[in-house]
Amino acid sequence: MKEEIKGREHPLSLIINDTIKIFTELGFQVATGPELEDVYHNFDALNVPKDHPARDMQDTFYIKGDTNKVLRTHTSSVQIRYMEEFAKSGKKPPFAIIAPGKVFRNEATDATHEMQFYQIEGLFISEDISMANLKGTLSYFYKKMLGEDTNLRFRPSFFPFTEPSIEFDLMYKGKWIEMGGAGMVHPNVLDKCGIDSTKYQGFAFGPGLERLMVIKYLMPDIRPAYHGDLRFNQI
Amino acid sequence: MKISYNWLQNYFEEKLPRPEEISEGIIFHSFEVDEIEKIKDDTVFDIKILPDRAHDCLSHWGIAKEVSMIFNMKISSPNGFLKLISEVQPLKPVIGWTSQSETSLKIEIENDKCLRYMGRVVRNIKVGESPSWLKEKLNAIGQKSINNIVDAANFVMYDLGQPIHAFDLDKLEGESLIIRNGKEGEKLTTLDKKEINLDDSILIIADEKSPLAIAGIKGGTKAEVDLNTKNIVIEVANFDATTTRKTAKKINIQTDAVKRYEHGITPELCPIVMDSISEIIYAIAGGEVESIIDIYPNKVLQNTISISVEYINKRLGSDFSKEEIESVWNKLNFVYRELDGEYKIEVPFLRADLIGPHDLTEEVIRILGYDRLVEKLPEFTKDSQITNNTYLKLLLVRSNLLFLGYGEVMTYVFRDKGEVEVLASATGKNFLRTNLTDGLRESIKLNILNLPLLDLKEVKVFEIGTVFFNGGEVMHVAYGDKKNVTEVNIDDFCEKFNLLSEDNLHVESPSQNDTEKKIFKMWSNYPFISRDVAVWMPESDDKEQLKQIFVEEGTDLLIKAPFLFDSFTKEGRTSYAYRLVFQSYEKTLTDEEINPIMEKITSKISSYGWEVR
Repeated sequence: MKEEIKGREHPLSLIINDTIKIFTELGFQVATGPELEDVYHNFDALNVPKDHPARDMQDTFYIKGDTNKVLRTHTSSVQIRYMEEFAKSGKKPPFAIIAPGKVFRNEATDATHEMQFYQIEGLFISEDISMANLKGTLSYFYKKMLGEDTNLRFRPSFFPFTEPSIEFDLMYKGKWIEMGGAGMVHPNVLDKCGIDSTKYQGFAFGPGLERLMVIKYLMPDIRPAYHGDLRFNQI
Repeated sequence: MKISYNWLQNYFEEKLPRPEEISEGIIFHSFEVDEIEKIKDDTVFDIKILPDRAHDCLSHWGIAKEVSMIFNMKISSPNGFLKLISEVQPLKPVIGWTSQSETSLKIEIENDKCLRYMGRVVRNIKVGESPSWLKEKLNAIGQKSINNIVDAANFVMYDLGQPIHAFDLDKLEGESLIIRNGKEGEKLTTLDKKEINLDDSILIIADEKSPLAIAGIKGGTKAEVDLNTKNIVIEVANFDATTTRKTAKKINIQTDAVKRYEHGITPELCPIVMDSISEIIYAIAGGEVESIIDIYPNKVLQNTISISVEYINKRLGSDFSKEEIESVWNKLNFVYRELDGEYKIEVPFLRADLIGPHDLTEEVIRILGYDRLVEKLPEFTKDSQITNNTYLKLLLVRSNLLFLGYGEVMTYVFRDKGEVEVLASATGKNFLRTNLTDGLRESIKLNILNLPLLDLKEVKVFEIGTVFFNGGEVMHVAYGDKKNVTEVNIDDFCEKFNLLSEDNLHVESPSQNDTEKKIFKMWSNYPFISRDVAVWMPESDDKEQLKQIFVEEGTDLLIKAPFLFDSFTKEGRTSYAYRLVFQSYEKTLTDEEINPIMEKITSKISSYGWEVR
């Protein structure tokens, strides 16, 4: 047995690769940010006021001995870091980024929930990017990822950092499946990052990737993903 | 929040659509509906009110307004319950109390965290059992009936969204209520018998001597209304959202009142609610109603928003007409005027969530319907190369290790020791990993046990991930086998293998060319049995024939394709060594079950003239 055997990739990496491929081909640029994030980038800059019940929506891991640090609860913090840098560099929109990353929520684990999971953040800002563009972009992505016979629908939701905010569902194999949240970036968020909200607008989205993996490969349970079990790499 | 269909119906003259239609309408225009439950002749919705609407929608009135908007149905005026009372108790004129008498009640606000306080005395009431309509309404949404006064207060809260409290006037020291900070050393026993130590961060309602209630959170036993109560003070008040929330957290008491106050109800709601509760109490407990004392130091100002049709269509990417937009303003009962293409909208006090034009844009699209958005792929400037350095390194390192035969794993960030600690963790593992090696070693151990299931000759794994130190986080890469695990900073790895050379830097994301649909198969958690079989065959014979014997005779328990782990040729004969793995999804297999299968395989092999080694 002389031939070289290539190692197998983790299914989540496969999902991330495909996702990045689809979005970078469209024209999005990859962005990244820290997992151990400061409260400002995780909450304040995202228009989540202190002592506001919205901070309860996500069970945050706070860091002992450092009230300023959290494990990021969403990849939306990458939006902020990217936009701050972008504005500082003196460049002007348009820009479109896609940011895959691990996020953390302190909740009990079960077949569909983990304390650590992957989100993919998308952000597109220009003078005229609209909600219809958001729907078009997400729809394009899921059709590429899961096939042409998928359908997208929006429902009203609330996130402090988007307005309007929506939750989107995907029709896949005859069933509506809740996929994630999105919306038009809140003007306060743009202004905080140094981007003039009276001139620029755009959308952001942040679905979880485990959900996509589970649907695409028909997995019964997400927990084995983090058990270091090579039987998981069967795709 | 639990919302009763019959209760909602009280708001409308017209018959409501069926519960399923109501639910669907709410889901696509307002909120998620978690559950619809039939309870006797009623249907109860469990509606997940969004945080920005909790100030006006944690109530049947709030939901009735949404329903009115969604289904274009007019809310009958006055609010439904009045009609209900007059139907059930037609003998008592419900407006009798308007001939109210002077009051001796005094109210004093000492702290500006109390935004408004309305108090009203009602004398000579009869505390007792609630009428059946009231009990039914409360039961439908899962609330127990206590007595007519408490029930009335609860009913109005679930109806209009404003918490109400009632004190037994005769248990008060004097006829004054003071809203002030607690004092060190003061104590209060709550209605559910919990003793709270007060301090000056806790806003309370007190009489001249001692605390009666924790403002906006919970009443105390001192002035509790009981079956002997004759005279009461009704409190309809408003307290600062953040203060209420912080205090509730501090003393660890969560109530329906807190849930409402912490989202910032408007103080403008108080008079409507005072009228309602007075009418109900008068109708079901009688008494003489005195005039209201209303302390409202800083009147809330009404917000005005300017917005144009162009603004809305530009944000939404839509083409809504002026008439359609105005239909939304009308459904929301907005007072507006148009000036040079701009609407000036007076936002109702009860919609404190509407701050700017972006908020009104959401109102337009959720009311007209998200299905009205036409999907449009935006224009991009295309450049599909990865330029982000961190991600580029990750791709290069991963593809390098995969090429060297390492399988990729991901392990948990949470460990039981480390440098960075989280305050609390649902698993009890409170530290963030300082290395990948510990997790990788566990992975190697697990995979060695499962080696026969893996089609591998040896276990080689890697992980790329973040590790955490006091100084911050670093991206590491670790790779290894049963003998050795190597862990380095990702930059060092890139340097060592010269991954960041110029010709590597034009990278696109890899992707699967999956024309075929791949489906994950969950493994069995029962132990497996593996058997190795080595067979001598003439060099000219095809090993596929041998493989076929294994598959045919192996039964369903042979859970994997036979794995060829060794072969060599000598003197015209080839030895093929295959590994067969047996496993059941239902039970632990025994040798007794596998031996007959192996015997059949052996004899079949012999019948071809091949030799089992």
